[in-house]
Amino acid sequence: MIPFMAQVRTIARRDLIRERRSGEVVWVTIPFGGIALLMVPLAIGTDAPTLQRIGPGLFWTIVMLFGVLISIRQTNAETVPQRDQVALTGLDPAAIYVGRATASFFLLVVFQLVLGVVTIVLYDVPVDGAVAFPLLIVLVGAGLALLGTLAAAIVSTGSSATALVPLLVAPLSIPLLIGASQTLEALRLGRSSLAWTLLMIVTVLVLAVAGVLAARPLQETG
Amino acid sequence: MTDRTNAPVTSRTWPWFVMAGAGLVTFVASMTVAPDAIQGQLSRIMYVHVPSAWLAYLAFGITMISSAMYLWKRDLAWDRRAHASAEIGVVFTAMAIGLGMIWAKPTWGIFWTWDARLTLTAIMFFVYLGYLALRRTTDDLHARARRASILGVLAVVQVPLVHFSVIWWRTLHQPPSVFEPASPDIDTPMLLTLLLAVACFTIIYASMMVKRLELAGMEDAILVAEQVDDSVVAGEAVTRPSVEGGLA
Repeated sequence: MIPFMAQVRTIARRDLIRERRSGEVVWVTIPFGGIALLMVPLAIGTDAPTLQRIGPGLFWTIVMLFGVLISIRQTNAETVPQRDQVALTGLDPAAIYVGRATASFFLLVVFQLVLGVVTIVLYDVPVDGAVAFPLLIVLVGAGLALLGTLAAAIVSTGSSATALVPLLVAPLSIPLLIGASQTLEALRLGRSSLAWTLLMIVTVLVLAVAGVLAARPLQETG
Repeated sequence: MTDRTNAPVTSRTWPWFVMAGAGLVTFVASMTVAPDAIQGQLSRIMYVHVPSAWLAYLAFGITMISSAMYLWKRDLAWDRRAHASAEIGVVFTAMAIGLGMIWAKPTWGIFWTWDARLTLTAIMFFVYLGYLALRRTTDDLHARARRASILGVLAVVQVPLVHFSVIWWRTLHQPPSVFEPASPDIDTPMLLTLLLAVACFTIIYASMMVKRLELAGMEDAILVAEQVDDSVVAGEAVTRPSVEGGLA
């Protein structure tokens, strides 16, 4: 019997190798997010103080909406025979779920780091909350990865999966969006951000437990 | 796994009469009770808005219980209950939001404000729309039921969030008027009318469930029949040998 963590590592490594070969996140999703950050000022006006004020919130919104594409891409790319083959290996469904989410987590961290720099440069955002930024990136990355992987597993493959998963993920990711933006806002105003950080931690834990519990019945679905 | 899709479906007429009766009672009661001293006639919206919100909670709660029961028993009847209840819940959530907006315009001066209760209700509405959309992604009854059941169990977490949002956050929406710990912050005739409306709406929900379950049973039966028609029968590839001159 392969230990649980070894199974997780195997799946995560497989997904990351697949991503290295396809380069979807690096060459498609990250530039797409960058373009979105570039387009918003063209639509709402290039007033510097306004952009400085909305920059952090806009960054988190784009991370949530575009991050979904990263967290669902492995499931979407996988065909039914490939999925059946993984199931037949006898790997623990929970380990498959955690492994996939782990791979998405690493990619989401990279995505956020790149877009974070782009936001600071384009919107001239002050780096008041820089201390909390690494923690926020980790929590948002973990939450989105867990949520997206779970939603992609629920929807499974299908013609409407690409559209349906974001519909399920976007409203459920709102605690992460509120938590991340309010933490930075609290730090900017010199207030305690503990409650918002706790909200994000609880959300991540709930998603992790829900995903692990749902993994087996979802694998039965095929 | 249990599959009762072949069971005969009977169409009952009594739910239509019950719905009409309960609707009429609500209408008459809400139009005859004295208007609110401050809000005037506008307060009558409350007798439909509050029961609609209550029904949304009830419907999504039933969806959660039915989904959990499906995951435990693997009986499609539970999945149909979850689906029917979610669909009714979405309708009543939309009604609660719409009526709330109509009430808000003359009272707050705007149709919509970024209040915790309003925003969370809108999010709940979209999540359950997603639940209904998810059900349309596959024709495999058990696969559909398993996927939807997991979401049906997870999504219910929003119901307490929506309900307690007026207590947990500072909101423009008023706090609970009926279930206040000390004493209800509402006049007795208005409270009684509101409770009557809630009871009538609950009856309407039950009647709608009966009709929607009938329909769900028919939908599943059609789906199963189509799948049987489309499936390849064993030995279908074997054809009768052609004998020149025909068989005697």
